[in-house]
Amino acid sequence: MKLTLQETAKRLDLPTGMVERWIRQGRIPIRKSGEDCYFEETVLEKWAATHNLAFSKKEDELREADIKKPVSLRSAMENGGVFHGVPGKNAEEIFEKIISRYDFLSETNKELLLQRLMERESLTSTGIGNGIAIPHPRSPLNEAIKQPAISTCFLENPIDFKALDGKPVFVLFLMISTSIQTHLHLLSRLSFCLRDPSFVSFLASLPDKNRLLEKIALFDRIDNQ
Amino acid sequence: MGKIRPWRYPAKWGLFRIDDRLLLIVIGAVVGSCSGIAALLLNRSLIAILETLHDYRHYWWAFVLPATGAAVSSLFLKKIIKEDAGHGVPEVIYSVSRRGGLLRLRSSFSRLISSCLTIGSGGSAGPEAPVVMSGAAIGSNIARFFALNDRQRITLVGCGAAGAISSIFNAPIAGMVFSIEVIIGEWSAVNIIPIAIAAVAGTEVSRVLQGNQIAFSHRQFNLGTIDIVAGIGIAVVTATLSIVLTRLLRKMHKVSGQTNIPLWSKAALGGCAVGMIGIFFPDVLGEGYHSIRSMIEGAYPGGIAIVSFLMLAKILATSFTLGWGGSGGIFAPCLVIGSFAGIAWHRLIVFIFPSIAWANEGCFALIGMAGMISGILQAPLTAIFLIVEITGGYEVILPLILVSAISATLCHYFEPASFYLRDLVERRQLLRPGTDGRVLADLRVGELLERDCIVVGRHMLLRDFVEIVKKSHRNYFPVEDEHTGKFIGMIHLDHIRPYLFDSVMYDTVFLEQIMETDVVKAYLDNDLNDILRDMDTLNLYSIPVISDGRFVGMISKATILDQYRKELLVQTTHWT
Repeated sequence: MKLTLQETAKRLDLPTGMVERWIRQGRIPIRKSGEDCYFEETVLEKWAATHNLAFSKKEDELREADIKKPVSLRSAMENGGVFHGVPGKNAEEIFEKIISRYDFLSETNKELLLQRLMERESLTSTGIGNGIAIPHPRSPLNEAIKQPAISTCFLENPIDFKALDGKPVFVLFLMISTSIQTHLHLLSRLSFCLRDPSFVSFLASLPDKNRLLEKIALFDRIDNQ
Repeated sequence: MGKIRPWRYPAKWGLFRIDDRLLLIVIGAVVGSCSGIAALLLNRSLIAILETLHDYRHYWWAFVLPATGAAVSSLFLKKIIKEDAGHGVPEVIYSVSRRGGLLRLRSSFSRLISSCLTIGSGGSAGPEAPVVMSGAAIGSNIARFFALNDRQRITLVGCGAAGAISSIFNAPIAGMVFSIEVIIGEWSAVNIIPIAIAAVAGTEVSRVLQGNQIAFSHRQFNLGTIDIVAGIGIAVVTATLSIVLTRLLRKMHKVSGQTNIPLWSKAALGGCAVGMIGIFFPDVLGEGYHSIRSMIEGAYPGGIAIVSFLMLAKILATSFTLGWGGSGGIFAPCLVIGSFAGIAWHRLIVFIFPSIAWANEGCFALIGMAGMISGILQAPLTAIFLIVEITGGYEVILPLILVSAISATLCHYFEPASFYLRDLVERRQLLRPGTDGRVLADLRVGELLERDCIVVGRHMLLRDFVEIVKKSHRNYFPVEDEHTGKFIGMIHLDHIRPYLFDSVMYDTVFLEQIMETDVVKAYLDNDLNDILRDMDTLNLYSIPVISDGRFVGMISKATILDQYRKELLVQTTHWT
């Protein structure tokens, strides 16, 4: 396969100027025909190997790795689902109730998740005030899930969550992420929404799934701008 | 023209598509033959001029002959060819290390003519360096004609030099070794094979055209252990003489540089001095091959005193010729001085220890020559092979190796750089392949730029800047003037961190108030060596690069190391 100068430079992870100089100095194997140069992929690959230089396989793979868009808050919330009237007297009972609805988790992972959620709660409460809590496992469930998920749970009866402002909590955003990065990203997006007083009063109206996701989509749009 | 064009690109020919080493070998042979012919031409014309002028030597005004020759040769070089005086070897080495072996076409004959004038008229210099220069220029221009790349061109320059030395001395191995040891400075199979072929071609050309004669034939030598021990003495003597000659040449060069008269009259002045010396010691004039021959045969007249005086006179004459602007090399004078030193030493030890059966004088002359060559050029291998080949005397190899090694080591102690390389070393231009200096010199600042910095305007508010900091993954922010686009300063995140969290300052501070204006800058044409030195002394990791007043990117140690390694790998590993 023939490559252009730019492709060759990219695959070798070098500036084009450097490859041009190497051609001039005769350090890199090329086919020369008059003023034009050709790069043979197989020859270059062999040459790079003997010189201990990196020669990436395909340009497409590179591009895929480069452009990895962060997950939007809306899709995460859609994955997690919205639950209304979740019963329970304390945090553990409520968590158990929600986790039991996660079809995508195996039994062992469900136990693990509960255990990690409780571990996190024992460190310090995840109740952030205004009747809202964002419980999450102490460390992300790397392999167990493919997509991050945020479950919005409106409680049957507000419970005491040992929140910062002491107010009883009426809504939980249970967050499980694939990595620390996604966790931080989603947490930052979510707290951006929750800082808005109008959104908090909107939550107090116990909206249904569609209305909630529409609202979140609005916030996502603001972020993208 | 249309029919000639395909010729210009031999890499397209079916035969050379298989392996481009073959191409170099074939062209190498052509280059070797051409430079061999150039060497013969110079040799023949030198002899012709010397013979013509021989009849005038006994006149009282004969001392102006070297003066005229040197002046004309200086005028020729300066006015017509527009080149600097000197022997040309440093120019070749510089071109090989920095310009990919590019040499001007006119260099292929300029030194031949100028040195022919200088030496033919009686100046004390050698024809070897000019021949090397023209051989190298022939190689370079043939490579350019065939549109070859730098690596191939350098090999062909080496081929030219090898062909020239091989032809002039009828000594293929010496030509080969000289070319690799002095000119190319890199022992790799890629270079050695074409150069060897060129050496063979150069030698063969000279044998076909003027017969297979050994430059200085000799008689059988019988060397004992005691002679080898005595050889150490010669090593010390020749090393001392090498240092004296090197320093004297430099001194002369300095004095002539300070003299405020036209260049050609300087050369004339030097030539006059040589002519004066020539009145008393006619043997110092010219390249001196004739006296070498009689010394090796052991038939040189005169006692210790005369030979010693001749030796000193030759040193003086050589420094007057070369130091004041005459054109020629130092190779032949070295051989002459070396053989004078050899027989002087022989006569001295015979005088002190008359009862010991010493080897004959010629043998000591050979050893002296080797000592002198390896002392001045600091190229012991060239010295050993050259002497063995030009005399056909393999019996002297043991003291030869010993003396060459000792002399080169001693000289290196006092004069770290050899005669050919000293100027380059002083100008920091000696860049042998695969060395740190070479890698740094080959890498350009433009190839190392990191272009992922976000440029900010001088009138931007801190509030807006904080938004930019969020998006950036670099700690450096170049500041430019919004109107002119000129670079005016840098903001380093570390230095403004406290203000970033002070929201009171957000709307009161402009970036030009917190940027640093006293920034170390680099430019696109800067030497990487200087940039690295700045980084080391000031403890910096990244420096902004400016071109035409504008910011173009950052250069940092991490990128330099990354590309440095790649460059080193590519320079030191050969793929053919």
